[in-house]
Amino acid sequence: MPEFDLHSLKKAWQEQPVQQKYDDNEILKMLNRKSRNYVKYIFWISVAEFLFITAIGLFYIIQGKESSSYLKILERLGVNKTLELETTFDNVFLVLKILSLSITAYFVYKFYQNYKGIKIEENLKSFILKIINFKKTVNAFILINIVLLITVTSIFTIFVLYIVNIQNVEVSNSSLTGFIVGIIISTILAVLMVWLYYRIVYGIIIRKLDKNLNQLKEIDSQES
Amino acid sequence: MISKEKEFAQLIKDNQGLIIKVSRLYTNSLEDEEDLFQEIVLQLWRSYDSFKGNSKISTWMYRVALNTAITLFRKKSKSLPTNELDINHRDFVEDDDDKQQQISLLYTVIKTLPNVERAIVMMYLDDLPYRDIAENLGITEVNARVKMNRLKKTLKEQMQKYA
Repeated sequence: MPEFDLHSLKKAWQEQPVQQKYDDNEILKMLNRKSRNYVKYIFWISVAEFLFITAIGLFYIIQGKESSSYLKILERLGVNKTLELETTFDNVFLVLKILSLSITAYFVYKFYQNYKGIKIEENLKSFILKIINFKKTVNAFILINIVLLITVTSIFTIFVLYIVNIQNVEVSNSSLTGFIVGIIISTILAVLMVWLYYRIVYGIIIRKLDKNLNQLKEIDSQES
Repeated sequence: MISKEKEFAQLIKDNQGLIIKVSRLYTNSLEDEEDLFQEIVLQLWRSYDSFKGNSKISTWMYRVALNTAITLFRKKSKSLPTNELDINHRDFVEDDDDKQQQISLLYTVIKTLPNVERAIVMMYLDDLPYRDIAENLGITEVNARVKMNRLKKTLKEQMQKYA
């Protein structure tokens, strides 16, 4: 084997015999082929996540469940279900639904916009960053929904305790403890499940992108 | 009048070498290589309208081919660890002189590098200016040059090791 010199191999590299593998017809057939690519997978996973979260929201809106289920909890604790209380709950839930739908509408728009912004002919770094940014839109949507869930649950728990106090309801310690523990456990479980989902699905999807992005960043930080 | 599809097919035929090289550098099996080739052609077709007249053919082709190979493509077969790389890969078949043997070995050695470094070496060997290499990857020209100088040393060591 002669002494290795990369520069001297340039010519041989460029002139390496390339078999003409495909003719016109074969190339034209490729244009109708089904694409198997990461962005497509990320897109469909994101659409599924969007639909899932939105479907849950819409289900509750159609059923009007939040309001009545909270009122049932209050009744079980011995609180008087007054008309004023019902109206207050209905109004609060209406505001929440409008807020939730507005958030969804905004994110669907951002999702579409970021997806359309991914252009394969861009440089590698921008391409990877745009894919990550696109996925982040969906993550932000889910995160906001979780924050909203925790905030609403906390506010209603405080509100329940406030009503119980205002109406001087005698609540047994065990019911009150059961109520609080139930809410805490269900909230923790919901958050835990979402976190686990992210560790698995998001981790797998983004690992490859991060690996390539880190290589680019490493190269750009080595100037000497 | 030539249809858009025919025009595109001709363009691919004229530039098959570039796509074949990328497909070979980023896969370890013939099946994956064919798959990657087809995926690159498909992505080129999908971006064909936005390319027309906007940039050089080579810039557009390198970017689409490398973005597809590095970021988009899902391999069917599992990638092999470096020490198991098929040194007797068909790259060696039909090699009849030292230069070609070195090119075949070069393929094997480049495949041991991380994705981005493979791209830098390939574009260097294809004689792209550092400015274009840097622009295609989104790094600075100085860093592309520094990295390539280090890669020359690494490749030399690896080539001698494998030889």
